[in-house]
Amino acid sequence: MDTKKLKILVVVDVVILVALFVLLKSLQGGYMEQAKRTANEQETAYLEKNTQVLVEQWRSIDQYGMAWKLVHTVLSGAKSEAAFGPALAAIEADKDARFKQISHIYTGVGINDKVQNGIFEKAGLAQGSILLKNEKNSKEISCGKGCVVKFDYAKGKLKNVDYSALVQYDLSKTLKIEKPGEYHFE
Amino acid sequence: MNLKNISIALTVLVFGLVIMLFMQKGNYVNQGREHYEKTTANSFKGNSMVLDLVNNGIEMNKQTWAVACGALQTVKNTQDMAKLEAKFFPMTKGSNSIANKTRRFEASSANVIVSYFGKVEENKTTGVKSLADLQSVDVSVLLGKVAPAAETEESADEGEE
Repeated sequence: MDTKKLKILVVVDVVILVALFVLLKSLQGGYMEQAKRTANEQETAYLEKNTQVLVEQWRSIDQYGMAWKLVHTVLSGAKSEAAFGPALAAIEADKDARFKQISHIYTGVGINDKVQNGIFEKAGLAQGSILLKNEKNSKEISCGKGCVVKFDYAKGKLKNVDYSALVQYDLSKTLKIEKPGEYHFE
Repeated sequence: MNLKNISIALTVLVFGLVIMLFMQKGNYVNQGREHYEKTTANSFKGNSMVLDLVNNGIEMNKQTWAVACGALQTVKNTQDMAKLEAKFFPMTKGSNSIANKTRRFEASSANVIVSYFGKVEENKTTGVKSLADLQSVDVSVLLGKVAPAAETEESADEGEE
């Protein structure tokens, strides 16, 4: 190869090198930004979905706790149909007691206050009343996800309480934390 | 000759940069994936643990409540109570306090109920004392209050069943 062609090659190489370097640097910034953004977005989406399961569990246990407390209150003496409403209202209104009852279960299995408070900040307590049906001689309350307790009355007096759903209560069938999906760069 | 070497070196550099250009995206994809997988795996592990622990805790809690509420419906004396306890917790026995007329059942430190009875009965043949006339079942511990209202002072479960 003669000197002239070599000089042209050198010049072309230098131009290409500079162009490639500029391209490399500009893409580098873009890729870095894209990697951070996509990872953060997908992490946040997963964490929110994941935490929502614990939020549902917390609220469900609030309903579960209130239901047991009501069954116990009714069986302990509040056996008239007229006493049902006030007993339920008192249990629902005592928010400190509700929190304590939920927290007791979490503490009992070794979950510390920090984790509990983190869930409570997002979940609060179960919203609305647990009363599902309030007809003469027949009342129903929700005791959590997929759980109903039935109270039957006759002539204003308690006839039967069906709390079998509470005894069979099993959140592991309804609440699951899914494994994280694949990461997507796009 | 010198110019030839320079041009070869520059051409090699050009190819090197082209390869780097194609490889750098893969590097950032890997970095993003690593961060995502680490963060989500920690979250999955931690939250699954909380979910499972609480679900397991509920198992014992609901059975203790079932003993308490079942007692209010069917139990007349400590013998009945012992049978009810055994139905849900075959390995755990409650203990009577004859002095306080109470029976304490402790499935675990977090799952305790105390039954209050109205009468002390004595088996005239064996001399074993038991409690009868269930008055109430204290579920303070299940409600998250610090301690049940009464503590047992003695264990007198023997000879009941």
